[in-house]
Amino acid sequence: MMAGRFVVSSASVTDLQRMAELARRLAGADGRVDAVALAGDAGVLAPEDGTLADTAGGLAGLADTLLVYEGAGEYLRGDMWAAALVDAVGRDGECVLVADAPAAREAVARTAVSCRASVASMCEDLQRAEGGGFVARRSIYGGVADGLIALVSTPAVCLFAAGKFEGAPSGESVPVEQRTLGAPAYEVTHVGDEPVVRTVDLAGASVVVSVGRGFVKREDLDLVDPLVSALGAELGCSRPIAEDFKWLPKERLVGLTGESVTAELYLALGISGQVQHLTGVKGARVVAAVNNDAKAPITRNADYVVVGDLYKVVPELVNALRSRS
Amino acid sequence: MRIIVCAKHVVDSTEIRWDDEHDEVVLRNLPTKISDYDRNALEAAVVLKESEPSVDLDVVMIGGEAALKTLKEAVAMGADRGHLVEGGWDDPFDPLRSARVLAKAIDQLEEPDLVMCGLVSEDGYNGVTGAALAQLLDVPYLAPVVGLKVDEGSLEAVLDVGSALRTVKVAMPCVVAVDSAMNVPRLPTVLQVMKVKGDRVAKMSLDSLSLSADAAELAHAGELVGSESGAVERRRVLIEEAPDEAAARLVEYLRQEGVL
Repeated sequence: MMAGRFVVSSASVTDLQRMAELARRLAGADGRVDAVALAGDAGVLAPEDGTLADTAGGLAGLADTLLVYEGAGEYLRGDMWAAALVDAVGRDGECVLVADAPAAREAVARTAVSCRASVASMCEDLQRAEGGGFVARRSIYGGVADGLIALVSTPAVCLFAAGKFEGAPSGESVPVEQRTLGAPAYEVTHVGDEPVVRTVDLAGASVVVSVGRGFVKREDLDLVDPLVSALGAELGCSRPIAEDFKWLPKERLVGLTGESVTAELYLALGISGQVQHLTGVKGARVVAAVNNDAKAPITRNADYVVVGDLYKVVPELVNALRSRS
Repeated sequence: MRIIVCAKHVVDSTEIRWDDEHDEVVLRNLPTKISDYDRNALEAAVVLKESEPSVDLDVVMIGGEAALKTLKEAVAMGADRGHLVEGGWDDPFDPLRSARVLAKAIDQLEEPDLVMCGLVSEDGYNGVTGAALAQLLDVPYLAPVVGLKVDEGSLEAVLDVGSALRTVKVAMPCVVAVDSAMNVPRLPTVLQVMKVKGDRVAKMSLDSLSLSADAAELAHAGELVGSESGAVERRRVLIEEAPDEAAARLVEYLRQEGVL
């Protein structure tokens, strides 16, 4: 029996390296790692932020081959991506690793069904299980706990959380093998795209001030403007503000269904601290909060908590910051 | 037109806690509900039905006896009838099993033009079930959907793909997964839920779906085998002075931390 064969794919070059590095660790030196790229009418679709030469170079020492599937169409489609993955898995693929991206969940789900595989989402790590198969580590129930998911049937298809990866590509290229995708299984007419300009970078901001349900009216959010500018912060919010009340766009949402911050300082104003929100705050170095309820979950999950009325405390915070400088 | 919404019966995710003493996630005796994101799918379906009264709208849900109340709540949002698939706990860590059971249930019903669900479930957050269902039904899958228009057998949808709002058109049948940004789901009143009589909710046994206890469709493909607390340790310093003093003290702490 040959050593395990892994298939890795991703919408970004750095995530592809991350997947390949993990696959190499599990496959060992004797195992095989095939990276999958998709190319279409407009060039390389996945990984989208580099040329094939960049991609092949970044994989040196990690993957054995870069399989390039031509004919993927106009934009990255989940069904086409799945067709490439299913072909790459073939008869002996043991494990598929994909980093999360808009079309990735469809790709993973279709691949898992087609290959009679097992599947896990939101994976953060993967290990071989004793006695065969794999065990994936992921956050469960919105961040309440870290869980271990046993993937019993082969291949194991794992969707990893998209993440940052400081790769060090050696520049030496891995062999590229061209393959061609058949016609799409489904006809999808592309009517058009309306570009969305993203102006908010919560994930990269060094200070984030977030607002929650402690604010009674939409207009009251104006109260935080001076604080945001005094701190040079990016404005974020909890789920009710973005998803229920829709007072702020979803790109400002911090938490499980939004962004994860890596800020030096995270300041939560009127946020009770549901675990789904706290999941997005785990990466912050210092967490401060203003909340009128000392029993709210945020007090157990923050470094400094002002227990008080945010309508009174926020202006005082602005004063204190100004008088200091 | 026939629409089937797959709605999930879940434990209220905001009530789930980690028990430090027993080192486990506490799920017992917690309130249950329709998964939030599926309520967005139900709302989108009901809006389509309101604009086109000939739409026939079914809800399918997996669960035990306890899910019946949840199913009635879903039907009360404006569906014609609900089907409870007696498949036990809809395991958040085994979305392929959920998709296989849902596909079997949908096979038993009058063929839908449109199958709808939420983008993720609030307990599993996998985002896999809808797409796996599309693969099993061999139809296109559109997600995350923020706009929908039906026009003589074809469906025009707006997808939020991050960098753009993408408009696409497909022939039905298809599966769509609705993004929470699409709408604000209506809350059925207690009276509306009470008015959902027994004849509008039917049970589907696994037997009736030709699924025996050892059927391949029911085999676990993913299983939770261990867990540990996900909390990050924080200092938990409480500042309980008057607003001006509290603000000054917080600024002082943050200065000491070197984050200002």
